[in-house]
Amino acid sequence: MNLSTKKWLFTKISSAILIPFMIWFLLKFVSLFDSDYQTLIDLVTVKSFKLVFTGFILTAFLFYTLTISEIFEDYINDQKIKNVANKVVFTFAIIILIFTLIILHTL
Amino acid sequence: MNKLFSKNPLTPHLQIYKWQISSLLSITNRIVGVINFIIIILICFWLISLRFEENNYFLIFNLMNSVVGKFLIIFLCWAFSFQILNEIRHLAWDLGYGYDTKIAKITGILVFAGSFILAILIYLVGNNLVN
Repeated sequence: MNLSTKKWLFTKISSAILIPFMIWFLLKFVSLFDSDYQTLIDLVTVKSFKLVFTGFILTAFLFYTLTISEIFEDYINDQKIKNVANKVVFTFAIIILIFTLIILHTL
Repeated sequence: MNKLFSKNPLTPHLQIYKWQISSLLSITNRIVGVINFIIIILICFWLISLRFEENNYFLIFNLMNSVVGKFLIIFLCWAFSFQILNEIRHLAWDLGYGYDTKIAKITGILVFAGSFILAILIYLVGNNLVN
């Protein structure tokens, strides 16, 4: 299996997994986005929230970095620029993801 | 090898296409994909902000309760709804369903119209979870 096929497969699997996560997150977020600090802290410190949210952002970052990589593939001709753009997006996504997960699980 | 890659054809620019529902959905899906990536990053920052004390969180609380905040949340509902429905359409294509031109047009319209309906439904249901 070549790299492009693997990318396509991961995009499809992550998109299928992301759909129920997105619905769950939207319902939670709409119900709580304007809540006060203590209400939010009470919610995000619940273990089940931490687990599902971790699954949500892991899948979301995987799906969106692959989606953006696909856009680079379609619109950037220069291989070097494409590689740099991909590395920047992947590195940025990994840093934000790790930092968010550390904060979430230490709240 | 690099020369081979550099000769790969690129996607034609938008002005070359004759606008139709499939091209409209395709480009909207790309744009929404990038916007959603930014939204996910903002959600991470929102969660990180909880780490700071209540006094510092007050800024985000005020933003979320303003008109801009309400607009952002409604836009987020639509952007996620659009992505959900369009991904379902793409997954159906991957399984070999919905390739017929007429069906592709109908599902395209359903995705576009359905994204607004789903966004409103999620907003209403989400609000009723608390109120």
